[in-house]
Amino acid sequence: MGIVAINRVYAALAAVIMAFVLLPLLVVVWVSFFANRILSFPATGYTFDWYVRAWEQDAFRNGFITSVETALIAVAISLALGVPASLALVRYRFPGRDTIQTLLLSPMVVPGIVGGAALFMAFIEIEVLFDVEIAGTLPGLLVAHGLIALPWTIRLVTASLTGMSPSYAEAAQSLGASGLTIFFRITLPIIKPGIVAAVLFSFVISFIDLEKSIFLVGPGRSTLQIALVSYLEWNLDSTVAAVATVQIIIIGALLLVSNRYARLSRAF
Amino acid sequence: MSLAAFGARHGRRPSPAFGLSAPATIFVLVALIGPLALMFRYSLNRFVPGQMMVEALTLANYAKFLADGYYQSVLATTLWVSALSTLLCLVAGFPVAYFLARQANEKWKGRLLLLVILPLLMGNAVRTAAWMVILGDKGLSNALIASVGIAPMKLMYTPTAVVIGLISVLLPFMIVTLQSVLEGIDANLEAASSSLGAGHLTTLWRVILPLALPGILAGTMLCFILSMNAYATPVLIGGPSFHMMAPTVYQQVAKAMNWPFGAALAFVLMAVTLVLTTIANVLVQRRYRRWSE
Repeated sequence: MGIVAINRVYAALAAVIMAFVLLPLLVVVWVSFFANRILSFPATGYTFDWYVRAWEQDAFRNGFITSVETALIAVAISLALGVPASLALVRYRFPGRDTIQTLLLSPMVVPGIVGGAALFMAFIEIEVLFDVEIAGTLPGLLVAHGLIALPWTIRLVTASLTGMSPSYAEAAQSLGASGLTIFFRITLPIIKPGIVAAVLFSFVISFIDLEKSIFLVGPGRSTLQIALVSYLEWNLDSTVAAVATVQIIIIGALLLVSNRYARLSRAF
Repeated sequence: MSLAAFGARHGRRPSPAFGLSAPATIFVLVALIGPLALMFRYSLNRFVPGQMMVEALTLANYAKFLADGYYQSVLATTLWVSALSTLLCLVAGFPVAYFLARQANEKWKGRLLLLVILPLLMGNAVRTAAWMVILGDKGLSNALIASVGIAPMKLMYTPTAVVIGLISVLLPFMIVTLQSVLEGIDANLEAASSSLGAGHLTTLWRVILPLALPGILAGTMLCFILSMNAYATPVLIGGPSFHMMAPTVYQQVAKAMNWPFGAALAFVLMAVTLVLTTIANVLVQRRYRRWSE
């Protein structure tokens, strides 16, 4: 077989497999416009009604708001903790550096369901000890989501810091700039693309989390993903498809924006 | 670098690195490592129905797992479903990853990679919902089957459906991991191999696969770990009679409130995953060394 023929085989295989990967998303978008009252194929007509119904469902609307809120604050937490830590990891050689790096990336390795269960037990323990409410509250959810976003922020920021020559900072230092001045006037502007990618990426990772959050939502406060799963346990209609389509559009847009700043495939 | 050499080079000033990394380190210690340690301690406690749990130092919960055939069958199901899904992801992911890695047009490569990452970031809930729409009794696949005159099939609530759902969730991870590794393999090596008379399959088997082995291992482990811990797919597509480990952990901890046993299950799941991935790692690395000699 010639090279051209081999490449065609790969192209064909890749096309089929990519179709399989993208099929669920396409079907969901399509079904969200079905007029059928009970979900079945083919469509009897097309309508926007499901979008209205999805918004009217408290669980979805509140879940969406909680998810956005949680993800935004989780991003802020992961930036505040992750950017300094990344600077330490890239710029300094210090004893225990490898251990700290492993530790900071470990939330990615510990299974979501295990980490979520552990956090849930710890929260209840604290609630009993100090008579406060944490599990099922926003602060409790934020701890979990800060943990979800942190390693991705560190990965992307570390990557962009590694790509930056330390001589800029050294030059500023020799001209008398303080550490903070160097950070805000030199380092931050140079690694801005990495920061933007980290912000958008960790927002999305927090937004779509299911396994860690499932223990930590309470009555009246649930994330969108949990609301979707609990709805799906009893119903399957185009309301879910409408919610999913909105999510696809939002995340797709965020992805396109962040990809302009940094190659996202490098995050993996 | 030894501590003494470190001190000498930095003039014995405390490195700012500690101050910079301390907040994140403390956060992870408090929010992850601490709770994990607490959960491990709980897994040694005793559960008395009606009461929360009783302070104890017993291996009874682990013994219960070893004695109860039901929980072993849950672990067995989790293992074979994960192994099968991972293997199929590897087989399906390789052609896409190879195609992307050898794609000369950077613009197209970037777009295609985005198409791989997009579903990955859609979340398990949305993708599982989509497969429910496709595989349901009145779903797309049955409608298509019916249109060519074949009787509708029972697809939902079968292990096959769970594996399909899992592959769809995991495949993008495999593709992205393999792609980055394959891209690092010099295309000239393939040209050299084929100029020496090797066919494409021989080149694939003798040149590309050995070089890509670390990446294959990384992608395989990632998919295996993720599928061992999958929650939404087994619960929603597998249905009430299909049991995997992650939903069982959730059920024990949050529903049955049997924390000691739920904690033990969580650690069994983590330990089994860890042991298997470590064994795979050692075996592949030994093989890799032999190959590269």
